[in-house]
Formats: sequence, structure tokens, C-alpha cells
Amino acid sequence: MRSGSLTLAAAAFLFASSAGAQADFEGIWRPTHPPRMGQPDPATVRLTPAGQAEYEAFSPEKDPTLRCLMPGIPLGLVDPYPIEIVQQDHQVLILYEHFHQVRRVFTDGRTAPDHWVPSLIGYSTGEWDGGTLVVTTTHLSPDNYTWTAGFPFSGNENAYVVEQWSRNGDVLTMRGEVHDPTYYEEPYVVNARWEFDPDGEIWEYECIPEFAGVE
Amino acid sequence: MRKLRVLSLSVLLFAVPVAAHHSGVAYFDLDASVEHTDVTVVAYDLVNPHGRLVYTFTAADGTEVEWSGEMPSANNARRRGLGGEMFKPGDRLRSVMGSPARSGSNFMRLERVVFANGDVAQIAGPNAGITRAAQ
Repeated sequence: MRSGSLTLAAAAFLFASSAGAQADFEGIWRPTHPPRMGQPDPATVRLTPAGQAEYEAFSPEKDPTLRCLMPGIPLGLVDPYPIEIVQQDHQVLILYEHFHQVRRVFTDGRTAPDHWVPSLIGYSTGEWDGGTLVVTTTHLSPDNYTWTAGFPFSGNENAYVVEQWSRNGDVLTMRGEVHDPTYYEEPYVVNARWEFDPDGEIWEYECIPEFAGVE
Repeated sequence: MRKLRVLSLSVLLFAVPVAAHHSGVAYFDLDASVEHTDVTVVAYDLVNPHGRLVYTFTAADGTEVEWSGEMPSANNARRRGLGGEMFKPGDRLRSVMGSPARSGSNFMRLERVVFANGDVAQIAGPNAGITRAAQ
């Protein structure tokens, strides 16, 4: 009897471990990104001919934040502000201080509805691969770019972003791949890092348009 | 034209490398630096997405020149102890240094400010904050 109970308990533990493999990302995280804000060395980015032409014609004014709009994805994958993550049964919420950007990563198996229009934030779904949350974002806007150093983003139907979020102790990392075969020979990869900051604060980020542009 | 000459001369005199910044490279020449001395604060706004310091100084030819310096966002500046009361109109500053705008306008990305009492405000980079002058 006692042996049977132990077997049942072990089975329950294994089941719980498997079902609960997803990691705990809840809380506020302070940015501690690698140099260059986790962006690749520009010399290593392989652009297609179309991407190179777009890179050379780059207009910094395309930056949505210069109009006090949130940076969106992929531009807003990394920023120098804290984030807060809320995990619910059906979604993971990523709340950015920067421009009050909110991302909903649906983890209940749903897919983007047909009526979803391209937008700065797109449509994000997530799957847990053990303790790693793999986020795929589609329906992104052509009115954005990959990085302020001049890297373009087509935002067409072939463009999407895949992120891998994982936690190791009090460190949260995100590897983001920008897939945009129109402009890049291979995915543009960013690497972000945050540290758990239980006493951290998310501040209001009011944006004043008169100060958003440059002279 | 006069403003451009002022900028060119300053760049020649004070060209030093500075650290790259995620949003600055598109607008500012981060490989160059410009410095102005004995400046007077005209206006200061610490807001998002970028704060701004407006100041004047007397150029070598005796004309008064107005420049603007871009600050970090209000949120980032406050977290680094660079609060909203740091400058007020009429304040005299020993020097203002930063990376000049690629456009050639009288605009820079602020890197460092030295106050009249010798205190130093490091505006950008990982060591941002106020360093008090030795008493």
C-alpha cells in the first residue's frame, strides 16, 4: 500500500513536472543588455541587393518613436528600460516601460485571425519548449525598421520574428531572429538580457511630440 | 555659414571618440565631439523621448550663437540622478560637450556638462550621473 502510494506520488510529480515545464518569468526585469544594445556588428549583417539599396536609402525619420508611436517589432525588441512580464493561462503579457508598449503572446494554441491587419506590434503566439518560450510574431508593419543604424524591415508577408525567451536564475535572456528574406540573406539576430528586479518600478513614459524629432 | 565654421573648428579642436548609442548613430556623428565653453542656459526640458538643453555662448568672432543639446529621455535621466532641476534659464555653465548632428545644424547629443562650481554631469554612457567637485 505504501509502495503504491509512492508510485502514484512519483507519477504525479513527473506529470506535474512535465506539465509545469514552463518557466516563471513573472515580475519586473531591469535591462542589462550586451554592448550595442544586443545588436549585431553591422559589418556582419548580410543584406540582399534589395536590402542593401534600402539600407543606403535609409531615412531615420521612419522611426515611429519620432512620432511618439511605440517602436513596435522588430525595432522595439530591445530597449534600455525595464519590462514587466505577466503570465496567464492563455497568454504572456510583456509590458514595456518604453512608450507603454504592450505585447500579448497567446500561448493557448490559437492562430492569427484572418481579419488581423499588419501593425507595429503584429500578432504574437508562443509555445513552451521546456523552459524556453518561443514567440513567433507575424502581421508586422512595413512602416518600421529593424534597427536605428539603418537596417530596414520590409514588413511584407514573408517577414516574421522569432524570439526565444529563457530564464537562468535571476537572468532573463531573449534571442530574437528577424526573418525578412526580402532584405536579409540570413536572419538578423539580436540578443537581450535583463536581471530580475523585484523592487523595480515601471514608470509612465509620456511622450512629447515637440521633442520627439531632431533638428 | 558662420555656424558651420564654429562647428568645424570645434570638431577639429575637440575630436575624440565616444561610445556608440543605440539611437544616436543615425543623427549624430559619434566619432566627433564638439565643446562650447562659458555658456548660458536658455531653456531646459526634461521630457520623453528626449530632453533638451538650449544654451548660448559667444563665438570667437564675438557673435552670440545658440545651440541645443539632446538629453536622454526623462525616465532614463531621472534613474541616473540627472533630475529635472539640474539646469534653469540664466545658469552659467563652464562647458558643454557632445557629438554634433550630422545635419550640420547647431545641435548635439550631450555627453558631458561642467557646472560653474566644477560639478560634472556625465549625461550619456554607463557612467552617467553627477560627480561633485572636490570641496
